[in-house]
Amino acid sequence: MSQESIWDRLQRIDRRVIYWILFILLMIPFIRPLSLPVSIGPQSITFIEGLRKLKEGDVVVINISSGVSAWPECLPSLVAVSKVLIQQKAKIIFWTSFVDGHMTFEKIVEKVPEFKKLTYGVDYVHLGFYTGAEPAVAQLAKNIRSIFTTDYKGTPIDQLPIMKGVNSANDVKMVISSDTGDYCDYYIRQWRIPYGVPLAEIGIAMNFSAYQPHWQAGILFGVTAGARGGAELEKLIGAPGDATITMDSINTSHLLVIVAVILANLGYAATRRRK
Amino acid sequence: MAEVVRRELVYVLTAVVVIIMIVDYFFAVPAISAIAGELNTWATVISTMALTLGAVNIIRVHSRNVRKRTPGVWYHSAWLIFIFAFVLLLGLTNINNPSANPIYKWIFDYSYVSLGQTWYAITGFYIASAAYRAFRARNIDAALLLIAGILVMLKNAPIGEVIWAQLPVLGGWFNDIGQMPAMRTFLIVAAFGLLAFGFRTLLGRERGFYGEVGGG
Amino acid sequence: MIVAGRQTAFVFLIVTVALFYIFLEMARRGRRIPIRTFPAIAAIPEAIGRCAEMGKPLLYTSGYAMETLSNPDQGPQTLASISILSHVARLAVKAGVKLYYFTCIQDSLPLVEETLRTAYLEEGKPEEFDPLQIKYQAGQSPYLNAVLGFMQRERPAANILMGGFYYESVVMGEGGNTIGAMQIAGTANTHQMPFLIATCDYCLIAEELYAASANITQDPWVLGCLRGEDIMKIVILALLIVGFVISFTGTTFLIDVLKR
Repeated sequence: MSQESIWDRLQRIDRRVIYWILFILLMIPFIRPLSLPVSIGPQSITFIEGLRKLKEGDVVVINISSGVSAWPECLPSLVAVSKVLIQQKAKIIFWTSFVDGHMTFEKIVEKVPEFKKLTYGVDYVHLGFYTGAEPAVAQLAKNIRSIFTTDYKGTPIDQLPIMKGVNSANDVKMVISSDTGDYCDYYIRQWRIPYGVPLAEIGIAMNFSAYQPHWQAGILFGVTAGARGGAELEKLIGAPGDATITMDSINTSHLLVIVAVILANLGYAATRRRK
Repeated sequence: MAEVVRRELVYVLTAVVVIIMIVDYFFAVPAISAIAGELNTWATVISTMALTLGAVNIIRVHSRNVRKRTPGVWYHSAWLIFIFAFVLLLGLTNINNPSANPIYKWIFDYSYVSLGQTWYAITGFYIASAAYRAFRARNIDAALLLIAGILVMLKNAPIGEVIWAQLPVLGGWFNDIGQMPAMRTFLIVAAFGLLAFGFRTLLGRERGFYGEVGGG
Repeated sequence: MIVAGRQTAFVFLIVTVALFYIFLEMARRGRRIPIRTFPAIAAIPEAIGRCAEMGKPLLYTSGYAMETLSNPDQGPQTLASISILSHVARLAVKAGVKLYYFTCIQDSLPLVEETLRTAYLEEGKPEEFDPLQIKYQAGQSPYLNAVLGFMQRERPAANILMGGFYYESVVMGEGGNTIGAMQIAGTANTHQMPFLIATCDYCLIAEELYAASANITQDPWVLGCLRGEDIMKIVILALLIVGFVISFTGTTFLIDVLKR
């Protein structure tokens, strides 16, 4: 059996070694935070600028189409956006297309202390879960009460002061969609284009590239990309939170991947030259 | 004969619904809008009902394992059926707000949430090993892809700016401008692909998913 | 008459459908419409042959696809995947390979069962079909968990991942690599294409997933639609070039027309 050189071994590092190193690197920032500065992208700047245009009493819908597994990526942005909406004294309607969406809503309320000063049903409400993908989104734009007859606690919708005079896209000033899939596309097609409702996306890092064209075309007034986007929003509003902490782990993990790829390519180049 | 009629009926119904939705989108005809609205509501209701299909499948598969005492598997299936029934009954104790039940909330908060987040977190590890294995500069194209990938990663991580202030600028170019033509191309071609697929389905020519494939 | 802001879209739709119909008729009347071979589709018999030689099962899955068929972006991907499943199932039955289908899309279950049952019937082995080859799990994480567990326990010789994938694509792809399975994938989700391309041996990207059934069946109707699509892409390309040239003059005429 021929002996493997160091260059061959560099190309065949056991994945378990990579996983262990990654795990350790992800833990380090929790013990010793790096706290590197986060630069802010234009998509986050326009996001906050768009929110700041809201006036007191404007109705904003936050659509939660991301599950609890996406909390590290989407929750910080949702928290930051909720803080700004409360500062602008907007009325917030939450609804969700995920079965665990109510948990995200409760988490947002827990993490935003300003909600304690507001009255549920008057200043904000969670209407609950809806299913049906784009047809349901289209119906919500035409007639909210055809999908929701009560809020998520079972209170009839007409008994909620916040819902007085609000029944379609014409009554909503803005939509913020937090999703890990296609719901932003539905809101683009069924709310933004037909009714002109301003729309922004809180997405996971994987979706950022897909929504960049829409932001560039002016269809979305803001896009956030996962934890990085959340950190940018937190910096813009001056309230560092979970996403800012997560950025340290992103630093270490990205560095590991880059180093591993470089080592593998060094090994590959060396063995190719030898042949 | 009944089978043929059943399949053709599916395609006729599909065609009728598609035409109604297209007419509703482009022409503001109140009567058609009313029908389209109803159809949207029906779609939502059917989608909700479809949730029970999955539940039936789960019970069917796992109860068979328990009945047959499939070695190595039956006790997992028994546990699944027990948990299924338990959580269902807990949820039914307060149908409007199941979270009000502390046990239900505990199971959701400390089991479902944790497990879901664990599985999502595993993606990071798999991406690391996939990147290590796949990103090899075997040719010019692969090398360019590798360089672009590294620049975008360094743009995303704040440490890139610490290493060199221009790294985020370069990575940002790839992110904001370089990949834009490709993304727009994908959007356009995928849209046409969808349109063609829908057209074939409308005409009843996309029959593969109904088990008919000519030639094979 | 046409709603404002949708007139140009309507014209595009009519032109596209007209092109589909024209080429469809030409194909029906015998005009040959060539289509290039998709390596991913051509590799399916090889994958099934590998399973037969190794005596291992074949894993087929169509992704999370937002857990529903009624999703306008993901549903067609699932339906296209089921079309391909039909072809794969027939080859698998012929070769005596056991196929396991994993899904978390509950409203696709009747379609999948019908597709597999028909495949077994048409190959003359209806008694070999077992509805429990179809494994359903509710939710994205349980579904991923089930697929990975199956890969680790049963060690399928080949995995076919076709449909609307999300984060599970990279996990399944890499999981399949761990067990040394041959992997063929296909998705129109742009955010997952890189992961599937990196982890799988063959991959259908974007509209290739929808065109795959044309590649398999060589049905003239389907090929005619594809040709119509290609012509429309040329029209779009021409519009892009014209728009680019016009943009130097400062006029927004084309943009105004397209926005109408």
